[in-house]
Amino acid sequence: MLGYTVRRVLTTIPLLLIATFLIFVLVSVSNDPRSRLAACGTCDESAFQRLEELYELDKPIPVRYFGWLSDVVAGDWGVALSINSIPVKDVVLERAKNTAIMAIPAFFLIAGLAVVLGVYSAVRQYSTSDYVITGFSFLGISMPTFFFALLLQAIFVVWWQEWFDLKPFYVSGLHTESFGDLVSSLTLPVVTLTLVVVAGESRFMRASMLEVINSDYIRTAKAKGLSQRTVIFRHALRNSLIPLVTIWALDFAFLMGGSVITETVFAWPGLGVLLVNSIFAQDLDLVMGVTMFIAVIVIVFNLIADLLYGVLDPRIRYD
Amino acid sequence: MTELKGRPDTPLEVEEAPMDEAEGLVIVSRSFGRQTWDRFRRHKLAILAGVVLLIMTISFWAAPALSPYGFEEITPDFNQGPSLEHPFGTDDIGRDLLVRTFKAGQFSLLIALLVAVLTTVLGAVVGAVSGYFGGAIDSFLSQVINLFLVVPSFIVLLVVAVKWGSNPTGIAVLLALLLWTSIARVVRGVVLQYKEQEFVLAARAAGAGSLRILWRHIIPNTFGPIIVNATLLVGVAIILESTLSFLALGVRPPTPTLGNLVDAAKGDIDSDPIRVLIPGGFVVLIALCINFLGDGLRDALDPTTRRVRE
Amino acid sequence: MGEQRLLEVENLSTSFTTEDGIVRAVSDVSFHVDRGEVLAVVGESGSGKSVMAMSLMRLLPKNAFVTGWASFEGRDLLSLSEAEMRKIRGRGMAMIFQDPMTALNPVFTVGNQIAEAVRVHQSVSKPLAMKRAVELLDLVGIPEPGQRVDSYPHEFSGGMRQRAVIAMAISNDPQLLIADEPTTALDVTIQAQVLEVIITVQRATGAAMLLITHDLGLVAGVADRVQVMYGGRVFESGDTRDVYYGGNNPYTRALMRSVPRLDERTSDRLSSVPGTPPSLIRLPRGCVFWPRCEFSEQVCRTTEPELIQCGTDHVSRCHFATTLPEFEYGARLGA
Repeated sequence: MLGYTVRRVLTTIPLLLIATFLIFVLVSVSNDPRSRLAACGTCDESAFQRLEELYELDKPIPVRYFGWLSDVVAGDWGVALSINSIPVKDVVLERAKNTAIMAIPAFFLIAGLAVVLGVYSAVRQYSTSDYVITGFSFLGISMPTFFFALLLQAIFVVWWQEWFDLKPFYVSGLHTESFGDLVSSLTLPVVTLTLVVVAGESRFMRASMLEVINSDYIRTAKAKGLSQRTVIFRHALRNSLIPLVTIWALDFAFLMGGSVITETVFAWPGLGVLLVNSIFAQDLDLVMGVTMFIAVIVIVFNLIADLLYGVLDPRIRYD
Repeated sequence: MTELKGRPDTPLEVEEAPMDEAEGLVIVSRSFGRQTWDRFRRHKLAILAGVVLLIMTISFWAAPALSPYGFEEITPDFNQGPSLEHPFGTDDIGRDLLVRTFKAGQFSLLIALLVAVLTTVLGAVVGAVSGYFGGAIDSFLSQVINLFLVVPSFIVLLVVAVKWGSNPTGIAVLLALLLWTSIARVVRGVVLQYKEQEFVLAARAAGAGSLRILWRHIIPNTFGPIIVNATLLVGVAIILESTLSFLALGVRPPTPTLGNLVDAAKGDIDSDPIRVLIPGGFVVLIALCINFLGDGLRDALDPTTRRVRE
Repeated sequence: MGEQRLLEVENLSTSFTTEDGIVRAVSDVSFHVDRGEVLAVVGESGSGKSVMAMSLMRLLPKNAFVTGWASFEGRDLLSLSEAEMRKIRGRGMAMIFQDPMTALNPVFTVGNQIAEAVRVHQSVSKPLAMKRAVELLDLVGIPEPGQRVDSYPHEFSGGMRQRAVIAMAISNDPQLLIADEPTTALDVTIQAQVLEVIITVQRATGAAMLLITHDLGLVAGVADRVQVMYGGRVFESGDTRDVYYGGNNPYTRALMRSVPRLDERTSDRLSSVPGTPPSLIRLPRGCVFWPRCEFSEQVCRTTEPELIQCGTDHVSRCHFATTLPEFEYGARLGA
């Protein structure tokens, strides 16, 4: 197990290098900081030169990549020109914290709901409640995040106030003045994320549970005389959760990677909003910093999923 | 007692006993197409979804053609609510929103279809080559496909969309480049599965060339999964395109898409929510129909998911 | 006599509702099993023999519909509540399944799963149940059971897994063992060993056994009685000797010819039963076997034969049961 873990971690390193290099290339060719200056009437040639110098735009991309990489390894992620030249590292970590405040409760809510809904609709396959749950998950899969977020906003900004003269939740921003404020500002974004992510996860859980329920070893368990409850919760649940672990890891990485849309609609000061703003500002170091940070999170969580899989499934052996 | 015609000491001949259709031992096998249609027909929701989708598609083309306004035409009435003249109202520079919404449906649908076509072609070619030829080609292509799994592709899409995604073709190409791996994985799996089967080995033994085998014997088996996945991709593409356009990183006005209409109206959501709800609702409705349709097709075309009714 | 009867089944029918219509997998089957005896149920796949067993255990999916009457130790199996039925599963009737590769839960140790079976029906502590698991593994011939008890199923070979399944089945000293094709999925080289283990534990515990198989050669030496099934129906039933020597049913004859014999001359071609088993959705009219039968006559196409008495406790479903020509093959096989 230890040997496997070390090997798996080591193979992640070239993957990280390839992935970050490709992202560096894509970001570099798609974002040109100089394009902002073209619209600027009062800027002269020296502004161009300062930008070129700062980002070493005259050098080939691979050279720039290794320069960037060695700086990052040394702890220097560059500066965010669009936010008063503060260090990229500081702003990214600060925003990542805000994103985590939203992502962590959302993750646990989603994971719990997905298991409950998935198991319930698998055990009662083709019942009315199964059809209702399936219907809702179809709606969730078909609903773009931005639309659901706007819908919630419309309901709670406009209509709720009109009808009940109440404003139960914050509809934008992160408010930390009190715990109540925090919960209130978290509610709508977390509900949005939950609906969007839980739809796919509960479908997956249902399929996984159905496959297990119909397997031979569940029949064996029933033939022993075990109760339905023991069969489902002791024998079936653990097996059907194994493949879900991968999905959890990917979804957690997705949530931590800044749920761009949710953050945008609810004006949440997280990584997602930071990324979109930095793209519009063509703030090259900041775009690079945010993108790479998210990429590393996703790759690391993939690794964690792989390792967890091995812990949970005794069939996977490492030597 | 009738005379027996037994031949006790010779083994039974391995030949079918004569029989007639009505009373004999007949294993009824309906044609593949017939079975598929029978299974699909049972999905009432999928049929309904198909009909709704068809009606929407027709109206996306008919409404702008019949309307007195052009989709980029600026009328003197701006920021109006719904009226007889402008059933969906007008936007902040006086364009008729009904025409713009249906025209946007046209653009969004065309983009999504283009994505599905490009994705399918790219994914099918890569998947087939990877699965059929195996070896170094396969391991390289598989690594590329896996890379897409571990890189936050939506984030990367945002970064590149700002430069390349501002027009319909550009965004379709970007989305196809993002999405092709799912089709490639499916096709590769099917090709691998059929590559070693007897009829393929027989064809190879008979001297058929690689391409011919691939084309005649293997590719047809990938059609079912491809059709299902391509259908579902249209839904994914509609959602992704509208999301990018909503973030102002996709198709830019004056070309309308359902996403950028929502983007343009989101600031007025408290005063004029229907400007958000109508185009957004269309996205949901299209995606929902496509998901139901895809689900029905999956049941019809993929025999492994056949289910028992109660 | 009544004391002797362990299981009595009358007019058992099982149907499934499928998307292609209603499938009647078991049709009007009646039989009995006495205490301590081995009844072999023989037939090709699709003959309804496994479904019949699962109907008795009440382990069929929800789309199954079972009618008839089945009494186990005087209790009406088909009308028991689910809770009462659970008490019978594993303790009164225990099953050995076909595929040992999938019959054990991959995430629990073998010992854990056997101990669980013990603890369902007996109130013993966990350590005691594990001790019992070790004894059971020893009984079915697993070497070093003290260590293997903590292994996961995937660390066992197919034959060892099947032994573990057998250990699990006998853990509560059941009155009836139902072995559903217990050796079919195993390597030919270990089939005989595993069958021997089954017979040994069956004799040691004094349990009766329903041995379901497609292989007539397998049952010759072990079964007291044989019941041949085809198309969901009983085609022949009787003492093993009578069935093997009598040659009273064309289907049984065809099955016997498909058993390979080492002492046969090689020029004799090994035959399988020609044609394919019938689709249960559209069974032939008349006798369900006629399209594949070497003796079929006009009457076979129109009228389904009843079970005809051929001797004491020996019946055959054939219009010509008592008038078929001599059949020496079976006698040689049974010898």
